[in-house]
Amino acid sequence: MSDYKHPYRDALFVLNELVDFDKLCAEHGFADANLELVSAIFDEAGKLGSEVLAPLNRVGDTQGVSLTEKGVQETAGFAEAYHQFQESGWPSLTAPEAFGGQNLPNVVGTAVNEIWHSANLSFALCPMLTQGAIESILHHGSDALKEAYLSRLVSGEWTGTMNLTEPDAGSDLAAVKTRAVPNGDHYLITGQKIFITWGDHQMTDNIIHLVLARLPDAPFGVKGISLFIVPKFLPDGSRNDAQCVSLEHKLGIHGSPTCVMSFGDKGGAIGYLVGEAHKGLAYMFTMMNHARQGVGLQGLSIAERSYQQALQYAKDRLQGTNKDGSRYPIIKFPDIRRMLMVMKSATEAMRALALVSAAEIDRAHGSEGEAAQTHQNRVELLTPIVKGWLTELAQEITYLGTQIHGGMGFIEETGSAQHYRDARILTIYEGTTGIQALDLVGRKTLVNKGEHLASLLEEIGQTLSALEASGQFPVQAKALRASLADGQAARQLLLDKSAEDAALAGSISVNYMMLFGYLCGGWLMSQAALKAQALLEANSGDPAFLNAKLTTSRFYAEHLLTRTGSLLAVIQAGSASILALPEDQF
Amino acid sequence: MKVLVTVKRVIDYNVKVRVKADHSDVDLANVKMAMNPFCEIAVEAAIRLKEAGIATEVVAVSVGSASCQEQLRTALALGADRAIQIDTPDNPESLEVAKLLAALIQAEQPSLVITGKQAIDTDNNQTGQMLAALLDWPQATFASAISLSGEQLEVTREVDGGLQTLSLSLPALVTTDLRLNEPRYASLPNIMKAKKKPLEVKTPAELGVSLKAHTRLIKVEAPAERQAGIKVDSVEALVDKLRNQARVI
Amino acid sequence: MSILVIAEHDNRALNSVTLNALQAAKAIGGEIQVLVAGHHCQAVAEQAAAVAGVSKVLLADSPAYEHRLAEPLSKLIATLGKDYSHVLAPASTSGKNLMPRVAALLDVAQISDITAVLSSDTFQRPIYAGNAVATVQSLDAIKVLTVRSTAFEAVAASGGAAAVEAVTASAVPERSRFVSEALAVSDRPNLGSAKVVVSGGRGLGSAENFALIEQLADKLGAAVGASRAAVDAGFTANDRQVGQTGTIVAPELYLAVGISGAIQHLAGMKESKIIVAINKDPEAPIFQVADYGLVADLFEAVPELMRQL
Repeated sequence: MSDYKHPYRDALFVLNELVDFDKLCAEHGFADANLELVSAIFDEAGKLGSEVLAPLNRVGDTQGVSLTEKGVQETAGFAEAYHQFQESGWPSLTAPEAFGGQNLPNVVGTAVNEIWHSANLSFALCPMLTQGAIESILHHGSDALKEAYLSRLVSGEWTGTMNLTEPDAGSDLAAVKTRAVPNGDHYLITGQKIFITWGDHQMTDNIIHLVLARLPDAPFGVKGISLFIVPKFLPDGSRNDAQCVSLEHKLGIHGSPTCVMSFGDKGGAIGYLVGEAHKGLAYMFTMMNHARQGVGLQGLSIAERSYQQALQYAKDRLQGTNKDGSRYPIIKFPDIRRMLMVMKSATEAMRALALVSAAEIDRAHGSEGEAAQTHQNRVELLTPIVKGWLTELAQEITYLGTQIHGGMGFIEETGSAQHYRDARILTIYEGTTGIQALDLVGRKTLVNKGEHLASLLEEIGQTLSALEASGQFPVQAKALRASLADGQAARQLLLDKSAEDAALAGSISVNYMMLFGYLCGGWLMSQAALKAQALLEANSGDPAFLNAKLTTSRFYAEHLLTRTGSLLAVIQAGSASILALPEDQF
Repeated sequence: MKVLVTVKRVIDYNVKVRVKADHSDVDLANVKMAMNPFCEIAVEAAIRLKEAGIATEVVAVSVGSASCQEQLRTALALGADRAIQIDTPDNPESLEVAKLLAALIQAEQPSLVITGKQAIDTDNNQTGQMLAALLDWPQATFASAISLSGEQLEVTREVDGGLQTLSLSLPALVTTDLRLNEPRYASLPNIMKAKKKPLEVKTPAELGVSLKAHTRLIKVEAPAERQAGIKVDSVEALVDKLRNQARVI
Repeated sequence: MSILVIAEHDNRALNSVTLNALQAAKAIGGEIQVLVAGHHCQAVAEQAAAVAGVSKVLLADSPAYEHRLAEPLSKLIATLGKDYSHVLAPASTSGKNLMPRVAALLDVAQISDITAVLSSDTFQRPIYAGNAVATVQSLDAIKVLTVRSTAFEAVAASGGAAAVEAVTASAVPERSRFVSEALAVSDRPNLGSAKVVVSGGRGLGSAENFALIEQLADKLGAAVGASRAAVDAGFTANDRQVGQTGTIVAPELYLAVGISGAIQHLAGMKESKIIVAINKDPEAPIFQVADYGLVADLFEAVPELMRQL
């Protein structure tokens, strides 16, 4: 069992010092928001997370969910927790006021979501998917659909699901086979969807499924898929022809029901077209940045939870013996300390990148013209890094969390193993690491000839100049200088060589993405050091926290940022040995 | 009916206190602060009276430096209608707090004052009683249930050995015990609304009270560390130790 | 110096916590008088007069004091108190209810829950639920104190022969009225002042299993306590919670059964004289404060313990 406490100090530090939150609010249409308000929000969300959601995390893992006659039965206690969550208004955080939302910036939603995911990843998936449904309807639905569904999704009275994947259509959604046939003012949907997170449960009166399906006259491939709303219960109260027919048995997130959804077993589920026909996939793409950053954030959250648990264990577990026979805790061992420092510094870097990227979404939405485009380009560039790098790093962090526990880490009752298992899905769903990496090398680098990346590297260069100018951070400056050069070299290599070697981009992509992840982390941890130093010199803030930030920044530079060197070496090896063996040798 | 509820900013109950090296006090620098848990119960009690249609207005008051406005905002987010900070240096003595509150209450004229039974920092358990004495109001401390009929407030109190029920004529003062209620979490919409609710600052001079020291804090020490004892290997050995070594059974 | 100690009683018998408060009075030094305020409480006054070291007993016998409500009593004590250097009461719920009111009427501070007397004006008291100890000096002419009974040995209940002197009761009508009292339905002692406390934690697993704690408590004549985890899990009522925000106990013997020993719980019981912990997890923090630890399955150890007692 572990307690969870929201690391509000670090979150507030990132918002204030790296995101420049109050300025963002003033400039981008969030006049009501400021850091003081966010601090009050953190207090209450932190309480709910620690006291209500976190204690259910292990219950969800051990008890899981079941399929009964009335549908999916969620873990005992989840419904009460959900009602408390819902009645406290948390689902409404970022939604527009017109539909009962609080219209707070996306970066606040992200920072608060960190709490829910850390406290209980399985539980938090439910509102996360609802958020996806809200955005689909908000951006693409007709006024009538908005009127009918949005307020109750925003209030959390109803939850939402995203039905994309089919047995034969995973990463390749163009292969979707689910059919939609016009039938008066609605459509009849028939087909099967898999991997539907929180596809059914008993916590709310209704569930709104967003479903990708093909119209009879649809063109082949990606341009023939439409998006439909399929409610579990129809406006007249009758049960729609859509149900969960099976639950997956999974490695982790046992408290989150992963459903096989069957539509139209009794003739067709009634669905309503969202937006225009054949544009379903395009609509999904507009939500993709948000959704992928959301999963990246889960990587941060599970890493934080794993760190807190390992830290507590390292302080409690007595395994060293002093000369006088008294014993001391394992946190005194340098290698345990090293692992804790990797966890702590990486988690801080992850939080910085997650929030800075989330704030770019706000800046893109809140700006006009060229400025909006510049911010949008940054969002597009950072999104695969946030999703890919944060979730990959979460694997290492949760691995270390278990490692610190020694033998007890391998024992389920300890709780560390759950984080390790729960983290595993994160590099897979919402686009695998491979998909993220392909996105980064392809659409996000090659398509714009590396310009968007160049502008990021230039900004990192400015931070490097500031580091060098301050003269107080030689370690960080040296590491960032080397790592920035690695990034520039990787970018140049991709731009120069991908024309002559068609397999290059795909071969180097994951290492390329990881390189830029570490580099972005180093960039923000360097900024954090500069800001912390300035605050210390101004005698402002908590010196213990700020000094710790200087240390984690240095540790990150020495232990994590330096990884870009070996990643570059692998990238430079190119595709040759990857593809050299003929297939029949495998 | 107007209800006035008091709120104290204290160290968060999850935080372990450390005594300063010079033993002058405990170290509160950069420690997470929160609303005193018994005050949370008091605020909850007041809000429930409002939700029940009994209270028409809930006023939250805190005495201390500007930092206690944070806890007043929390009280507003929980449902108080307005807030008043009485601006003093931090940690005024109970009797002085009671005098300031008494002066404020003369102006505000609430029918009911609800305070926490004690604050988890100084553990004094006295401000409410002192305030009632200064106002010459009836009091019901350590309340575990409150009900109102007309001008009579019936309060069940947790006393040594059980429960005692009193009937008080309004205006009256109640201090809260743990069992009175389970405080809610502030909802997001109410946190947003709290920003716009009025928060007034008053000085002791405006209230006509001059502060005076009645006690001097000479030093603060960590309590004697308790040493771990021994492990016994059986129930029999345990009973033997308790009987013959500790002599407690 | 002259000290007035407020007797705690139920109109029939003097409560022993008064004897602990008298010990604190002795430590201050000076003439010690006792006030017995109640109704038909002559017997209590006689018991108080027999206590060693008491020089005079004041008896205020009036219907107004029958239930020892704070409003009339505080006025009486504030009137009498002007003639004393110290006014003390046990830090029971009754003393805590009453004494701050007395202090406010006298325009002096009240020092709560003293655990040591360093001089006639300087006292120690626990703060932050016992996680720190403050040394506090009173600057007032009259010191109004409540005394933590577990911190002072009781004085001898006999050996004295003080005179009993009646004092007139004030007859101001008050706006508080006693309605009813529901004192411990069980024969178990009160949690806050019990000599033995048996507490159960999350390890009990259910409300049904928590009965085991009650059986053990009855065997020992003990009060029943619980950890916050057990209370939050609904195993038992929250008035049994021992800890920082629950009841603070300091019995002669504290038995923690199936309690891991969260900081908040330790804060509420670590002043106990002897602590016994029974827990199946040898790493549980409770063992770091326990005088006697037994690593065992409580469902085996507790029934066995009951057999052997």
